[in-house]
Amino acid sequence: MNQSPATEQPHPLVEAMRRYGGDPADLPFWQACTEGRFLLHQCATCGRHYWPASRCIEHGNEAMQWVEASGRGTLYTYTVMHRAYTRETRDQVPFVVAVVRLDEGPFYHSNIVECRYDAVSVDMPLEVVMQPHESGLTIPQFRPVNPMKEQT
Amino acid sequence: MRGQYAIVGLGITEQGVGLGYEGRELRARAVDLALANAGLPREAIDGYIRAHVEREDLRYMGLSPNFSVSMMTGGATPVFSIIAAMALIEAGQAELVACVYGEAQSARAVAGKANIGAYGYGYPMLYGLMGAAATHAFHARRHMHLYGTTSEHLGAVAVTQRNYALKRPGTLGYGAPMTLSEHQASPMIADPFRRFDCTRDTDGGIAVLVTKADRARSLASQPVYIMGAGTGHNITNWHKGTVYENHDHVQPAKLRAFEQARMTLTDVDMAQLYDPFTISPLMQLEAFGFVKHGHGGPFYAEGGARPDGPIPTNTGGGQLSAYYSTGFTGVAEAVLQLRGEAGDGQLAKANTALVSGHGMNAGVQNTWAHACMLLGSNP
Repeated sequence: MNQSPATEQPHPLVEAMRRYGGDPADLPFWQACTEGRFLLHQCATCGRHYWPASRCIEHGNEAMQWVEASGRGTLYTYTVMHRAYTRETRDQVPFVVAVVRLDEGPFYHSNIVECRYDAVSVDMPLEVVMQPHESGLTIPQFRPVNPMKEQT
Repeated sequence: MRGQYAIVGLGITEQGVGLGYEGRELRARAVDLALANAGLPREAIDGYIRAHVEREDLRYMGLSPNFSVSMMTGGATPVFSIIAAMALIEAGQAELVACVYGEAQSARAVAGKANIGAYGYGYPMLYGLMGAAATHAFHARRHMHLYGTTSEHLGAVAVTQRNYALKRPGTLGYGAPMTLSEHQASPMIADPFRRFDCTRDTDGGIAVLVTKADRARSLASQPVYIMGAGTGHNITNWHKGTVYENHDHVQPAKLRAFEQARMTLTDVDMAQLYDPFTISPLMQLEAFGFVKHGHGGPFYAEGGARPDGPIPTNTGGGQLSAYYSTGFTGVAEAVLQLRGEAGDGQLAKANTALVSGHGMNAGVQNTWAHACMLLGSNP
């Protein structure tokens, strides 16, 4: 039985996510990104954070909620893409795709920006910076935390 | 479990790039070869498992089993299909199950379809993360960070396997030596992987026939006995946040397989480990315990995986240097070695083998599934 009216248009962000392999369950995350906020999925019972959206491994779906997160983490591992697999990346190689270990625990795959690709290193502290993406989504990217800025 | 079931027929088609056959034809030929190898008629196959999706193989092949099952758990599918074959026979649903693979992977690029190397990975595609090389590179980079593993160490894996392939006609590496400097000079694809750290898609078919050991002994081919098997899923390490230290979740698979086989590491004569990239066999040798964690690189550099080393590994050249039959490469090589049919590449001691498979690339991770088995020439 179709509960939604036939006239309902698909959410524009959902369409964009689908084109890039995203999961509609993460819609609140991507909506928040357009407002410059970085969310994670959290179990209110045990406090454990998740990304992408999932049920808690201990408490299932009883208390899962999207919560604002720090947007900070460290670089856990990375690759430098030297080969372009898509037309969009042809002019971008070499570029970094890293796995960020967020301060709250989950991993987040992202680009490292404001840093030369050969200056990236494991364990470097990172912070989120929101970037518009051609899909219409706003995507969280990460840049090195500037130690000078931290001191002032 | 130990020695109660056996692989009784092995069919290996021509393997290579641009063979010009469709996948179904490769599967059909592999089945014909496996039947001939076991000296069995077509009607002997009363169970059929196709690695990947099956709809009309049976009609085309003239087979009439009780069932045909599609199975897909990435590069773990071949070992998994053999485990499932034993279970189906044990459950009384069949007596002789064909586990079949055949794909014309290299033709996909010609047809304008994405090849395996360009698989997309969920939301990370937004960041330009494409291809299996990139996701496996995460493991390699983490290993380098933790243990000081180098690109030369990865090159030692590539060269070790190429040296095996040099002796094996019909493989990509046959008659094509590779030096460490050539590995180092090959272009960077997804750092730290260079071209020669990566496999390439090939076409080919492989089928194995599985039956009970008592029946196996009455057939034409020399049985290769299944001593034990195990599975593990990397989701456990994902939840723990240790997924990048674990290429795949070997631990539970290893414990179960060795317990069933009543074997220890020192009983294993060779390892045939799933190898989409050079880091993969290196990290598996560590995870299985043949080498201490972090010592895989120096182990390869010192020749540990060579024919005269402590654990000869991927002895037919593996998927890196022989051909990419998505996990059946290692199954076939183990059977050939245990039967003494590996030609110039025959190992001096070849009574037992460890075979692994892993894969199921999806979303955020390169390897989810892992399956391994221990094979023996004696039950």
